[in-house]
Amino acid sequence: MTMALDPQRQKRRWWRREGVQGYLYISPWLLGFLMFGVAPLIAAFMTSLSKANVFRTIRFVGTDNYSKILTDDPVFATIAGNMLIYVIGSTVISIGLGLILALLLFKDFRGNHVFRTLIYVPSLLVGIATAYLFKQVFRGGEVGLANMFLSVFGTEPVNWLGDSDKPWLALVALILVNIWFTGGTMLIFLAGLKGIPASYFEAARVDGAGPWQMFRKVTLPLLSPVIVFNTVMALIGHIQVFETPLAFANSGGVATGNPLGYENSLGTFVTYLYVKGFVYQDMGYASALAFIMFAATLVLTGLVLWLARRFTAYGDADQN
Amino acid sequence: MQDLLERPATTPVPPATSTLKRRRNSRARWELTARVAALSLFCLLLLFPFVWLVSQSLKDTNQYFAVPFEWIPSPFRWENFSDVIFKYDFLHYIGNSLWLAVYAVVVNILSSSFVAYGFSRFRFPGRNALFMVVLATMMLPGQVMTISLYRFYREIGWIDTFYPLLIPKLFGAAFEIFLFRQFFLSLPREVDEAARIDGCGTLRTWWHIILPQSKPVIIVVAVFTFLGSWRELFGPLIYLTGEENRTLPLGLLYFTSPFGSSLPMLMAAIVISLIPPVVLYALGQKYIDKGVAIAEIK
Repeated sequence: MTMALDPQRQKRRWWRREGVQGYLYISPWLLGFLMFGVAPLIAAFMTSLSKANVFRTIRFVGTDNYSKILTDDPVFATIAGNMLIYVIGSTVISIGLGLILALLLFKDFRGNHVFRTLIYVPSLLVGIATAYLFKQVFRGGEVGLANMFLSVFGTEPVNWLGDSDKPWLALVALILVNIWFTGGTMLIFLAGLKGIPASYFEAARVDGAGPWQMFRKVTLPLLSPVIVFNTVMALIGHIQVFETPLAFANSGGVATGNPLGYENSLGTFVTYLYVKGFVYQDMGYASALAFIMFAATLVLTGLVLWLARRFTAYGDADQN
Repeated sequence: MQDLLERPATTPVPPATSTLKRRRNSRARWELTARVAALSLFCLLLLFPFVWLVSQSLKDTNQYFAVPFEWIPSPFRWENFSDVIFKYDFLHYIGNSLWLAVYAVVVNILSSSFVAYGFSRFRFPGRNALFMVVLATMMLPGQVMTISLYRFYREIGWIDTFYPLLIPKLFGAAFEIFLFRQFFLSLPREVDEAARIDGCGTLRTWWHIILPQSKPVIIVVAVFTFLGSWRELFGPLIYLTGEENRTLPLGLLYFTSPFGSSLPMLMAAIVISLIPPVVLYALGQKYIDKGVAIAEIK
């Protein structure tokens, strides 16, 4: 092999060129993105502008589905309210509790590792199995574990999931379940804390900062990019909650009862989308719901990023 | 970090020290006790439902509803587990879930690392923009696409087959591509340069040079992919309509008893479905803790 021949050979075989090869390697993703991302997205948008009847003849109806959902659907109004409460409550738990746990674990002591594992593992188990577990935990009467726990403090058994006078109790139970699944957020906070240079804490200590000042003036600002990241991820995850509300609302098989819970008190975007699209087969309506859910995600994410920019000194510097 | 700074305060103090240092020492010890106490209480709260679950899964229906509650079942009904597996047909659901998960792991590792290799080792126009698109797809709720995909699969007769769950996995997954790319960028380029000079093609470099160095990230991706497939409900619920094709989450969702009230059986089924994730985490723990930290985007 002479060196002089090399460039010529690369010129002849076009597929050997770096740029071409790069595209070849990412082509599976690109293809998948077009087939399972872009194409269905466009199709879903077209669907959301149409209505199909039982004979599957499709009629173009413009923005009818959207306007009906937003102005003339009492079920959706209830669900939007549920989601607002659920997403805010759950995100506060994920972020607040996750941060507190990370701060508690951000120090080497014997057994630290055990605590970290115990807190992290449940977050790997989340799904329909834990949804059914917590349905039994929040069972009414003295059998439910939550009521057993409360009885220690002398509280009367609460009918968490079936109280017709207080249907909001079910939503409270749904939010409380998130206490068990903060492990992922905690681990990312912990990694973020470990990334803060020790010299910053040292400087603050030399200047005589107490623990609260240290947290307020050093930890919190330096951790703000991680807080923003975790908050956005938590919001996205909570908006798409599905298994737990479905299991909570489901009384013995999905077919029986209202899959959205008593008086729709457990309805979420995705359970409603599932009911509309796949139980009632109203695909146009369900597609419009999906886009409204997506829009809600974008608005909330934008809000968090805007707030972060306003209230953190380091937000601008770190996110360029 | 912080613990490094505080260490002098917690190490045994020589006898002749100032009162200030002694006060700091006792304060640090008090703080540590409070820390451990708070964490212990919280972990107790976390563990409660899971211990309760195991206890309830080993009872009969009368014991299940007994008031006051008994933590230790008497007698232990181990048959609950064999009944769930054999009489309730969970063996079949576990089988379906297991092969789907193993397929997802193998295919996802290959396809995602292949794509990530392209993103991390080649320069081409639009590379960074396309990678941003990869990250952006993680934000998109999957349900938006599911509806039109469902209609498409219905047209081509794929409903109640495993194809809708199998085929999309061939094209890589955004989060896994991201994990692989971050890892590949940290690998020294000198090794692939040397391989190239020795006449090793890029495909062989990916297979023989890059992948063998990537054990930590492969383990992380394997565990996350397995867990994701193992617990997936929405896709199977929509695409798999027949009883024959039910996965474990579907088996749980449709759990109804052919033999009367059976909450202990449901609890046993839940225990069974939680065992593989716990075992998998135990096996890959060392790598997973680090893997989650990679997810922290700068």
